[in-house]
Amino acid sequence: MEAIGSGKIEVSPTAIASLAGQAVLECYGVVGMASKDLARGLVEILQPASHRRGVEVHLDNDQITIDLYVVLEYGTRLITVARNIQSGVKYAVERALGVPVTAVNVHIQDLRVSSD
Amino acid sequence: METIQPSDEPESLFRPGPDTPIQFCDGLGLKRLIRAGLVWLERHQAAINSLNVYPVPDGDTGTNMLLTMQSAYREIQDSPEEEVGIIAHKVAHGALMGARGNSGVILSQIFRGFARPLDGVKAFDTVLFASALREAAATAYKAVIKPVEGTILTVIRQAAEAAVSAAASSQDLRYVLAQVVHEAREAVARTPTLLHVLAEAGVVDAGGQGLFIILEGMLRYARGERLTLDTELAAAMDLQTAHLGQEGGYGYDVQFVIHGEGLNVEEIRATISSLGECALVVGDSRVVKVHVHTPEPGTPINYGASLGSLSRVIVENMQEQYQDFILSKAQAPAAPAEPLSEIGTVVVAPGPGLARVFQSLGANAVVSGGQTMNPSTEDLLKAVESVPRNDIIILPNNKNIVLAARQAQTMTGKKVEVVPTITVPQGIAALLALNYQADLATNARVMAAAARTIQTAEITTAVRSVQINGIHVREGESIGLVNGELKVKGGSPEQVVKAALEEMGAGDAEIITLYYGESVTADQAQALAEELERLYPDQEIELVDGGQPHYQYILSAE
Repeated sequence: MEAIGSGKIEVSPTAIASLAGQAVLECYGVVGMASKDLARGLVEILQPASHRRGVEVHLDNDQITIDLYVVLEYGTRLITVARNIQSGVKYAVERALGVPVTAVNVHIQDLRVSSD
Repeated sequence: METIQPSDEPESLFRPGPDTPIQFCDGLGLKRLIRAGLVWLERHQAAINSLNVYPVPDGDTGTNMLLTMQSAYREIQDSPEEEVGIIAHKVAHGALMGARGNSGVILSQIFRGFARPLDGVKAFDTVLFASALREAAATAYKAVIKPVEGTILTVIRQAAEAAVSAAASSQDLRYVLAQVVHEAREAVARTPTLLHVLAEAGVVDAGGQGLFIILEGMLRYARGERLTLDTELAAAMDLQTAHLGQEGGYGYDVQFVIHGEGLNVEEIRATISSLGECALVVGDSRVVKVHVHTPEPGTPINYGASLGSLSRVIVENMQEQYQDFILSKAQAPAAPAEPLSEIGTVVVAPGPGLARVFQSLGANAVVSGGQTMNPSTEDLLKAVESVPRNDIIILPNNKNIVLAARQAQTMTGKKVEVVPTITVPQGIAALLALNYQADLATNARVMAAAARTIQTAEITTAVRSVQINGIHVREGESIGLVNGELKVKGGSPEQVVKAALEEMGAGDAEIITLYYGESVTADQAQALAEELERLYPDQEIELVDGGQPHYQYILSAE
């Protein structure tokens, strides 16, 4: 991805997905990751262990785009939470890799209603 | 026993005596607590912004929390509701709708949880208050998969734990709130040990600090302190409220100029007024300037275009204007970015001259007082609260004020140490020894040691005949107290000064300082100083206009 001196450092989309997946779990308001596969007609709330699911990374000419499929807490301001996710994940990935993230797309797949 | 309730004057605060317990808080009480938290947060916004390094170091935590609190308060601002459960739910709703940034979303969850156990409750007591805080913490933790410790989450959890244990033994909400604030402060101070990025940046968590400030504002209010909203900010909030009320949201600020023939200004004004608010239509038959606030900017523009050609068309989003205004306020110098780690000092000084001496040495607050005019505990407490520092050292500078200072120490949410200086020169020596790099306890120790090294004499006139320490004193005679003890007497203050200096062993000192009081003229003092220079040629003699009452002279030798 980035040529430094005489060698080359390459970061795989999987590694970026791991970073993003870790970061998104720390984002306030995110209570789960969801499978993108809506064709099955269900949104699966994934366990934290499989945090790379629900995260898609696209590399195109060194442009990093991250898609996040999230389940948010009902009763939070979703637009604000989504923006926080965008900035939090972008910051975490950029700080770790030192390369700019072009876009973080947040897909709110479901809401979890905590018992009141 | 009291209830937090409003008085007739809307802005006035209840002021129960500091010893009167507050057993219940109803909706109006909560409303005022929220307001106090908002006001205090507004004042500390810039300082909180400067702490912001996690999760993203964008320096907006204070602003985000403030906007969230404003939204919460707007929801209840004009509500006459007395049921605390309803007010709590309104606050939660307002915070939710206005949540900004991470800290704002968490704050809104805290309010949401807080409201839950208060359903249908008219007024909460300490036990319910503690449950509500515990539920606030639990709710805040629920909305994240991996709660990060060392953040606002940790602070609300530990503050809630403090509330629960305090409520078990006290029915006084003020006491419980004081414990909550105390624990919140401690929890904030511990955040760098839990979250590495904070330690790296050398800061405490911004969101946690914001929550602490909100709680501290509430405590200040509960103690009867008057916290007033910045008027500009209040005006901006009123403005926004008006728009919210009338338009159900933000609108656009639309301006344009119509050029045409035979324009009917009256008709245009009537039409424009029907399309929005704050309509301003001026001009003549050929040129008409239009200004209106409207939710649909297209409508007035289309209407204008149907009458003639338009120029200088300006459409502005008023929400953005408002945010810009708030942000520009955030950068205004009005909100001082106070360093949080420094130690503040409160000193007692008799007389304006000595007050100036202390101020020039960096005292943050000077309370007027001394012999026969002892300041009250409340005066000292007010001074402690007025200093924008969390750690405070009090220098009472008089034997009779040490006790009041110790009482003030127990009544504040701040960390206070009393260095028991019993004379003004001791206080000055102590203040000079203050080290801003060291912590509070170390400073208290070092300052007390510095105070002990100084020899002090106070020269006054006996108000009655008495025999102390084997010295017979007749009313009207001049007497000298050396280090607080009656040691010498004489016919004139000047004679006693000389006797006292001998008693103090001034010949071994390096500097002799002479503070002359309000009853002594500068010439008299100067003459005495010159005489002392002859008597003590090896010592440096300093003459200071202390302006203190009762004591013609206060002397120190060091």
